[in-house]
Amino acid sequence: MAHLTRRSFVGAASLLASPALIRPAFAADTVKLGCLFSSSGTMANLEGRLNHVVRMAADEINGRGGVNGRQIEVLTSDPASDWPLYAQVGRQMLQQEKVAALFGCWTSVSRKSVLPVVEQNDGLLFYPLHFEGDENSKNVVYVNSPPASSVLPAVDYLMGQDGVGAKRFFMIGSDYVWPRTINKQLKGYWKSKGIPESAWREEYVPFGFSNFQTLVNQVRSFASQPGGQAIVVLTVVGSSIPDFLREFANQGITATDVPILGLDMVEADLEGLDTAKLAGHLNCWAYLQAAKSERNTKFLGDWASYVKARNVPFSADTVIDPMVSAYDSVQLWALAAAKAGSFAVPEVRKAFAGLSFEDPSGYTLTMTGENNYVSRGVFIGSVNEKRGFDVLWQSPNAPKPVPFSPYG
Amino acid sequence: MPVLRAVLVLVCLALVPAPAAAASLDRVGFVAGLCDDAAAQVRAAEGLIQSAGEVPADDLAFAAGLLGALAERRLACPADGALLLDRPGASEGRDALTGLARATPDARVPVLGLRQRAAVETARGVTALLTGPDPAARAAGLAAAERRIATVPAAVLDRARDAESDAGLKERITGLAQAAALSSPDPVRRRAAIAAVAAHPSGAAQARLAALKGDPAYAADHAFRAALDAGLATVSRAVAVGDGLAVVYNGLSFASILFMAAAGLAIIFGLMGVINLAQGEFIMLGAYATYGVQEAFRRLAPGLLDLYLVAAIPVAFCAVALVGIVVEALILRHLYRRPLMSLLATWAVSLFLVNLVRVTVGTQNLQFVMPAYVSGGVPLYADFVVTWNRLFAIGFAAATLVLTLLILRRTPLGLDIRAVTQNRDMAACLGLPTRRVDRLAFGLGSGIAGLAGVALCPIYSVNPGMGSGFIVDSFMVVVLGGVGSLLGTLVAALGIGGANVLIEPVSGAVAAKVIVLVGIILFLQRRPEGLFAVRRRR
Repeated sequence: MAHLTRRSFVGAASLLASPALIRPAFAADTVKLGCLFSSSGTMANLEGRLNHVVRMAADEINGRGGVNGRQIEVLTSDPASDWPLYAQVGRQMLQQEKVAALFGCWTSVSRKSVLPVVEQNDGLLFYPLHFEGDENSKNVVYVNSPPASSVLPAVDYLMGQDGVGAKRFFMIGSDYVWPRTINKQLKGYWKSKGIPESAWREEYVPFGFSNFQTLVNQVRSFASQPGGQAIVVLTVVGSSIPDFLREFANQGITATDVPILGLDMVEADLEGLDTAKLAGHLNCWAYLQAAKSERNTKFLGDWASYVKARNVPFSADTVIDPMVSAYDSVQLWALAAAKAGSFAVPEVRKAFAGLSFEDPSGYTLTMTGENNYVSRGVFIGSVNEKRGFDVLWQSPNAPKPVPFSPYG
Repeated sequence: MPVLRAVLVLVCLALVPAPAAAASLDRVGFVAGLCDDAAAQVRAAEGLIQSAGEVPADDLAFAAGLLGALAERRLACPADGALLLDRPGASEGRDALTGLARATPDARVPVLGLRQRAAVETARGVTALLTGPDPAARAAGLAAAERRIATVPAAVLDRARDAESDAGLKERITGLAQAAALSSPDPVRRRAAIAAVAAHPSGAAQARLAALKGDPAYAADHAFRAALDAGLATVSRAVAVGDGLAVVYNGLSFASILFMAAAGLAIIFGLMGVINLAQGEFIMLGAYATYGVQEAFRRLAPGLLDLYLVAAIPVAFCAVALVGIVVEALILRHLYRRPLMSLLATWAVSLFLVNLVRVTVGTQNLQFVMPAYVSGGVPLYADFVVTWNRLFAIGFAAATLVLTLLILRRTPLGLDIRAVTQNRDMAACLGLPTRRVDRLAFGLGSGIAGLAGVALCPIYSVNPGMGSGFIVDSFMVVVLGGVGSLLGTLVAALGIGGANVLIEPVSGAVAAKVIVLVGIILFLQRRPEGLFAVRRRR
């Protein structure tokens, strides 16, 4: 297959040209941080923004005088949405560039491929996405929420009286570890609530899939069967999200007929869609752009002026959760390094216990000595007509993260 | 007894306006409800639906304004009363009750949860049905109310029917009113309701009727049983036919996309034997050219914006054909005798184009205005919905097929292309400028890829990486169809599209791709030249 050929070409080409993949900016008396976000391939539109956010956070810290008397220098790379390449670039950054910490990965499959690298080299990877949990490495900081503090509250909301009293569930996901694990945990959760197995259906599509006609037809006939209100739990990623939403709206199904809970859906996925027919569909994250807090207003302003000043090729008025989480990651690392008085990974790791940081979401992020998870708030967003999300519900406080799901 | 009669008449006269006056809307309570918590909002909206059969028209219009504002986040709720804003986030609005201008210092603007949204949508539908100025507005209201018809009382439908002047709409309302009597105690009305439900078959209608099988009347009342069985049979048959039509339509739609992506390749690969890995990027360039046309229309002729897709057809074709000709002239013509080199070179071109677009335009999905003729859809029969964007692509593919066949069969250029495809050396001996034919054919093939870009804009997300997904599928189609045969490409596209759509519901989308691929490999083992091989001399 030509596609496979291409991918292996990318791999081969990068083996030869790998030193050029990392773009450093040498200077004396600096501490290096590495980014593992793709600016080409399927994830480019989403991951590409995070490179700039890490730079912005570093600039902010440098403006305050840096960390432990050293200025931060950010190294970016382009793993080209090619999962094994993340590991390779990560190894290079740790071994050759001696970065103090890595910030990177969007999909769980890329994180899983970097995991052995950071463990062998005793590095530190800050992972800014909400994910399937069931992992606890001392070399990864899970800055976003495991399912217990993001997916389950949202599903609970939809099953409750404030939501739609959902009784039946149609799960559609891309075929890889995150959707499959999330769905496994959801099924365990529903079983524990006494919901019979006949109440759900599970379908997977390949990466980059876009012909959703048949699946939307299936959702319609699933929803018209008796047994209670049906919802869609959507775990497709990348360009499949807007393609699914478009087909759903075109076939005339609205959020009040069958709501979609899009677990990876962010504002950037709505770019290019007519959202008037999609209003009311839901997502759940630890931050939404519509969050009401002074720190959020400041962050939105900072990002807009950063985009303008640096000519960043992304929208100045779209901020998504992983951007804020990447920003939080840099801030948390800087706090820990300052507290430890050192950049050595074991020292920094020890300093995580008891850290707290007030982030743009309006919640106070905290870490404990028990694990490398960060306690975050929970938002449920509702798609509005202006290609954004309104805050429909938010948790009263930041729940304590549960790394391993009891339902999976 | 004239006196008594006079008194009676007086009483009647007094009574006639009385129900309306008595049932007028509690405006203060309604406003307070909409500004309260979720449960109160639902109560207010549902209360309006229940009483809408009697409430006077001006109250309905008042309620419709408030509900519309609430749905569009233009309703601000200060400590007392409610404010209507001109636009979301405005700092000043009019008081909902008095109409006076008021500032909105930190007033709450409620967000609708799904439960409130459903009630508010239905309430808006009911008010539009009763007070809409024209049949189109009332029909839209009816469609909204129909989604949750169980919550709409019969009085509302009766009032709407009596007031309706449009014959078609009146008939629809009557049908709905009849269908609403599904659980009426009167057996005759009940049977009529079954027939009315069965008259508009859908999966939901099937579920509604099937639920009646558990009704005691099903066992006791013979006529009811017969009516229900007949109704269910009609609906089931219609749903099955609708599902069948949907499969055909989905297959056609997928096939049209495959065909559009592969047609240009069939010409290029067939003629020159060049494996053009940049074909997907040519499709992407076609989509970006469409975007350029849209932006030009937005600047120069905003009134004609809806026509940009049509205007983009020649622009995308010419622009991408030009890119193809430049690529051919600069790179490929030096590599004709070295197929592997030309493959690598086109791959380099594809990387170059992706990154060029990424750097100049950015990686975000492009924002397209979707004119009415490519957005939404119309339910045609049972659950079968014809979506306009896919119909557009199907029509587009058919037109491309016809035009390309005409060019190949009926023009001098087509004659030259066919001659060179069949025997390059002989054609050269006969004096055909084969290099010029190559260049023009490459331009034609690239231009068709550009057209595919136009057709795909309403269906897929347009970003720099969109082309890479097409290349595998298009090669599959070209190789299966037989190199150099446009009809073969068509048949292969229909076959692969149809097979995918048929297998997908059974084994899932992932397995469907694998099964189709394995099938193609097995077929090519038996018949390596593909379905329709062009006879050529070597």
